[in-house]
Amino acid sequence: MALMDPTVDSAPLIDRLRVQQPEAIAELHELLLRAARFEAGRRRAALSHVRGEELDDIANQAADDALMAVLAKLDTYRGASRFTTWAYKFALLEAGVRLRRRAWQHREVVLEPDAWRALADRQQSAHEQVEQAEFFDALGRAIDGSLTQHQRTVFVALALNEVPIDVLAERMATTRGALYKTLHDARKRLRRELGEEEA
Amino acid sequence: MSDLLGPAGPEVGCDACFELLDEFVDLELEGVDADSQVPGMRAHLQGCPACHEEYESLRELAAG
Repeated sequence: MALMDPTVDSAPLIDRLRVQQPEAIAELHELLLRAARFEAGRRRAALSHVRGEELDDIANQAADDALMAVLAKLDTYRGASRFTTWAYKFALLEAGVRLRRRAWQHREVVLEPDAWRALADRQQSAHEQVEQAEFFDALGRAIDGSLTQHQRTVFVALALNEVPIDVLAERMATTRGALYKTLHDARKRLRRELGEEEA
Repeated sequence: MSDLLGPAGPEVGCDACFELLDEFVDLELEGVDADSQVPGMRAHLQGCPACHEEYESLRELAAG
């Protein structure tokens, strides 16, 4: 697939957006709403308990916020991708965050650094494999011995309990980036402790 | 099990991933070696489920 010059097809729209032309803003909103609805559609199965109208409301809110973000960052678009691809990512982010949080709206997030023990036991009995049992034993010792309490809390929630990172960020009043940095550092320590990485 | 410990190589963070995701996706769709153009992106997408979901959606949407 030849994309050619990524700025060529959308240059007029960008120019019109820069002067805040209402028709151009409406065109951009339509594009962003398409992306947000696409994301809602992808997650419909996981959100089967949520009414279609509410999903469409979420998509509209995501498109509205993405529109503000795109307009605010318009001058940072440097043509490294097609304008539509660049703009879509804002709508997908806004929609994804909202939909993950909606899916976990009534679910408890246990922020217990030692909660991994019950999970490890469940996984051992489910798989009934000696290798996995040994792995979880070693992982447990590494978690206890090498992670700070904050790292244990984040690692257990994200990696073991599979809490979506945006949900955890909201509950812990922090950002996705900060949480991922903590997860990354925790994983690095665990790999080193388990002999999977050089010190 | 390897998912628990994440990718071992260097990787970008979530903020850099968002900054570069559109470029990475369009390079892939063009058939260019996106991994060498945007180092650390593939590893991050392996380690971060949320960013990976956004990558998959953007790739499908951008491919039309």
